[in-house]
Amino acid sequence: MNLPGLKLEKVLVLTGREAVKISVYSIIVGFVIFSIFLLLEGTNPIDAYKHIFSFAFDPSLGLVPTIHRAMFLLFATLAFILPLKAGLWNIGMEGQLYLGTVGAFAVAYAWGDLPSGVLIPLMLIAAGLFGAGYGALAGFLRGKLGVNEIVVTIMLNLVAYWLILFLIQGPWAGPTEFRSRELPASAIAPEIWEVPFTVFLVLAISVIIYFLSARSNIGYQIKTFGSSSSAAEHAGMNPLKISIFVMVVGGAIAGLSAYHMWAGNPTFYLIPAPQTYKAVGDFTYWGIMVGLICLLNPLAAIPMSIFVGALKEGTSAIVRRLRLPVGLDLLLLGTLFLTFVAFQFFHRYRIKRIRGKG
Amino acid sequence: MPGLTQKIRNIVSRTPRRRGRRIRKILLEGIKRGETILRTKGITKKFPGVVANNHIDFEIKAGEIHAVLGENGAGKTTLMNILFGILRPDKGEIYVRGRRVEFKSPLDAIDLGIGMVHQHRKLIPAHTALENIVLGHPKTGKIPNMRRAKEEVKELCRKYGFKIDLNARVWQLSAGEQQLVEILKALYRGAKLLILDEPTSVLTPLETEKFLKSLRIMAKGELAIIPFITHKLPEVLSVSDRVTILRRGKVVKRLKTRKATMKALAKHMVGREVLFRLKKPKVKMGKEVLRVENLSALSDRGILALKGVSFSIRGGEIFGIAGISGNGQHELAEALAGLRKAKGGKVIFRGKDITRASTLERLKMGMGYIPPERVGVGTIGGFSLVDNIAMNLYFDKEFSKRGLLDYKRIRKHTEKAISEFDVMAPNIDTKAAHLSGGNLQKLILARVIPRTPRLLIANLPTHGLDVGATEFVRNRLMACKKEGMGILLISEDLDEVLQMSDRITPIYDGKFVDIIPAKKARKESIGAMMAGAALKKSR
Amino acid sequence: MWSFIARSLEISTIFLLAAIGELLDQRAGVLNIGVEGLMLFGAASGFVTALWTGSLLLGFVVGTALGGIFGLLHGFFSITLKADQVVSGMGIVVFAVGFTTYWADRYSGPLPAELSSPRIGGFLSPMFFLAVALVFIIWFVLSKTHLGLKIKSVGEDPSVAEATGINVVRIRYLCVIVGGLLGGLAGAFLSLAYFGIWGHLLTGGMGWIALALVPFSLWRPTMLLAGALIFGIVWQFSISPEAIAPGLGIPLGIIRMSPFIATIIVLTVISLPRIRRKWGLMKPAALGKPYIKE
Repeated sequence: MNLPGLKLEKVLVLTGREAVKISVYSIIVGFVIFSIFLLLEGTNPIDAYKHIFSFAFDPSLGLVPTIHRAMFLLFATLAFILPLKAGLWNIGMEGQLYLGTVGAFAVAYAWGDLPSGVLIPLMLIAAGLFGAGYGALAGFLRGKLGVNEIVVTIMLNLVAYWLILFLIQGPWAGPTEFRSRELPASAIAPEIWEVPFTVFLVLAISVIIYFLSARSNIGYQIKTFGSSSSAAEHAGMNPLKISIFVMVVGGAIAGLSAYHMWAGNPTFYLIPAPQTYKAVGDFTYWGIMVGLICLLNPLAAIPMSIFVGALKEGTSAIVRRLRLPVGLDLLLLGTLFLTFVAFQFFHRYRIKRIRGKG
Repeated sequence: MPGLTQKIRNIVSRTPRRRGRRIRKILLEGIKRGETILRTKGITKKFPGVVANNHIDFEIKAGEIHAVLGENGAGKTTLMNILFGILRPDKGEIYVRGRRVEFKSPLDAIDLGIGMVHQHRKLIPAHTALENIVLGHPKTGKIPNMRRAKEEVKELCRKYGFKIDLNARVWQLSAGEQQLVEILKALYRGAKLLILDEPTSVLTPLETEKFLKSLRIMAKGELAIIPFITHKLPEVLSVSDRVTILRRGKVVKRLKTRKATMKALAKHMVGREVLFRLKKPKVKMGKEVLRVENLSALSDRGILALKGVSFSIRGGEIFGIAGISGNGQHELAEALAGLRKAKGGKVIFRGKDITRASTLERLKMGMGYIPPERVGVGTIGGFSLVDNIAMNLYFDKEFSKRGLLDYKRIRKHTEKAISEFDVMAPNIDTKAAHLSGGNLQKLILARVIPRTPRLLIANLPTHGLDVGATEFVRNRLMACKKEGMGILLISEDLDEVLQMSDRITPIYDGKFVDIIPAKKARKESIGAMMAGAALKKSR
Repeated sequence: MWSFIARSLEISTIFLLAAIGELLDQRAGVLNIGVEGLMLFGAASGFVTALWTGSLLLGFVVGTALGGIFGLLHGFFSITLKADQVVSGMGIVVFAVGFTTYWADRYSGPLPAELSSPRIGGFLSPMFFLAVALVFIIWFVLSKTHLGLKIKSVGEDPSVAEATGINVVRIRYLCVIVGGLLGGLAGAFLSLAYFGIWGHLLTGGMGWIALALVPFSLWRPTMLLAGALIFGIVWQFSISPEAIAPGLGIPLGIIRMSPFIATIIVLTVISLPRIRRKWGLMKPAALGKPYIKE
């Protein structure tokens, strides 16, 4: 590549600041491209964005769903970030979510007459355990046998999808074949400041993951293993232990999100059929996107998740209002992702201006 | 039809190879012994901060072996790369058979009949020898006629006395055989001038002899050969006609070999009298720290690589294993460090049977391991110095309390270690990727040694280091010896092993040939044992 | 019974096309996990094109072409821009999910009856034989031609290949584009011939199974054929188990899981140490690593 006045220089080590700049630029460019799509649909992008954000952040309209959706995404992001720090791609958030659903709902249906104070923690524990177990399976196969965790987690997602469908149409069937039975009233998440308590739960988890990575012993081992598995082995670290640990924690977080999603959202309080568009859909992929753009930083994921949550809720609103095709938010996701991939280039090369004579 | 595809191919490819082919016809036609094939005038190449080649004049005739000698950093690699078209000189000219040429890439050099055999093999291990030789050559055509190619290559082997199984996969071949494949590759492309990069550095004495014989045969015709070497002077000099010595980028001496003496050559290479004597401190041997009984292990490919070795090491003793790489010493080091499962035998460390223990347990018990790969294994480039040093601290209760790392303590420890081991870096938060090779090795020492291991396994500790860093590492190991550490030294440098060890064992084919106290060790006999000779001389 | 076999073979065709394309990619050292995305693009664009133009053939052409375009894009990201191949592949999948949902879901539904795909004897699509032929062509290229030798070298050690005068970048692009074309073709076949319908995310995970088939086949076209046939049967069984085992009594939801569970089992088995030793030797050494000159 030879442009006048510029030359390419290889990057030895990327500073934090440069990495953040690259992420921000890629988001901006992604939006520019998305705006082009909007124009092609005959919509004014500025108008569209105005509608999106005014809806999303209006307390009487979209603010609560925005926060709810944002925190849901945060669960996904955290479940993705921790394993990737160790070098493992957890694409299985959706499956772990479904397993968490199975755990939580099994508890709720079985012991629905327990008081909330007992039932809800039990549901949370069950959700976390089931999700953790599902994650552990992939982590074990990867750690012990080196089986590619991407394909395994995706396969597990698909298995879980069918499992939920089976449960909804079978033992847990609701009035129609597209929903399960409703949750008992004591299972519903209590609210603090009009949002379910799980919002604060996930924020706390975000902070915990941050400190885990930065300060703890296991966090150091994860970081080392993710940078160089052979160096980690030479330092006495156990690949199997680390792989399972990150997948267990990631799976547990994704499992917990099940409670947040179904028991924390008035739209549901039951399990909808998994192909329902508004429900889980792109949980996994948004989690990956936010995780990657935030450079695996759990704290940065918080504002980014809120931003994306607003986008998702806002685009649903404008889809209705401006009569745009369904799937607009998925298109946005795809565009942002591809732009991000393109900008990976700058993780390897810098563009430098040639001063005078090289 | 074939002409059409050829025309299309030529149009599509961007290098004007046609010209090269025409020139090569001129080059190859009627070359006679004694004619000057290649001549350089005033070759100069600068890199930031150093003049790698400074006005180098060089020439070589057909049928001649003209060796180029120089230390690390004398400019040999640069000159070699210029002659082969990998680098372009800043100033100076190259003449091939009287015609001025410029190489835009190695392909131009290959077209002109220049071939290069690299020190680090440029072969594809998973493919057969024949496939490697034939790969990429225009003559091979769309659907290669392997039978015909094999005949042609076999003819070359006959001509030069090469013995090699063309259908073997390259990873199955020995270092010497792989080198033959590379030479054949160059010859198959019609090379008349061969540049050899440290051709004998990884060969056993037996393979070296075979190789030198081949060189003599090759030079009997019109082939010209330029070996570039740093060590093993006597062997290569035994076949060369002329010698050119480089020092600090300049040609300092040109000699006819028969007029040269070893001492004079070494002096010209280094510029001063070379007498590198290591001060071996007198140390009283301590208790036995390591005892190995009949240890065996598999290689990565599942073949038995270590075939039952037994030995012991005491505190304050340096036990040296001398061997060409690939004879099981790497598997031995990893088996001792817990990185590789022992197939059989026992390892007893400080009185405890650790054969089944994990690496972590061994580290905690006081074992230290210096791996041969500095980058990516011994250090992590993206980590700061602190994080690198922490790799040996995180499991220590002093630095990790209740699951959290005590970074204040770790940083203090790092500051001390860095200064004690002379690691050049702006501060302890610098990322290791910015460090030079020598500093990386010092970083590894700074990580392992302050833990005062009872047993230190040093696997190729000075591999690829410059003179200054090598000296530092060796002195440090001696200091460790003085402090009573038992040291297992694995090295390919026979001189190094001889100078530093208290007892030496040559390793060959996964077995210890003999264990010899340093005083009784003779370089020639150890070298022979490394190559498999004198196996019968067991007790 | 015969219809079950025919349908299985058609599913095998889809797996075969997508997987042989990915095998070619991987032999050249490029990992393209976006196979599911390529198939989605092929399926969606082929379907919509056929709907608009009334031409089945045009649908196939466009579907294949779009797959090739996104294969090229993946190549651009991972070869030229040197992005991480996994991230790039994921990007293709995610963008495919987004784009096809947004653009094609409004056309969900069956093809008009005139556009039903031709079948030999009314029961097996000729595409199956084309796919098998392709497998043999690729096998021939890889093992007998100079080009195949070059491709394999690029996948083993690109710097060595470059030094022998091979244009590594060009070979990788070639493979990634062909891989993309085949993935697109597989998807087009899915929506135009096998189903004749479009629905949200029609591929349902087939692309991922095709991806898993490549290491399962030890990167050998002949073993890939065997693997595709087996999984074709497994997949078709999961959709209509009653054809082979009527009265099994296991709820449909559980049976639908079987291809995915089978994939996990297969991947686990080939990773066992004994088998892994043989496998490790077959894997292209430079797979997944970006090629950086000098």
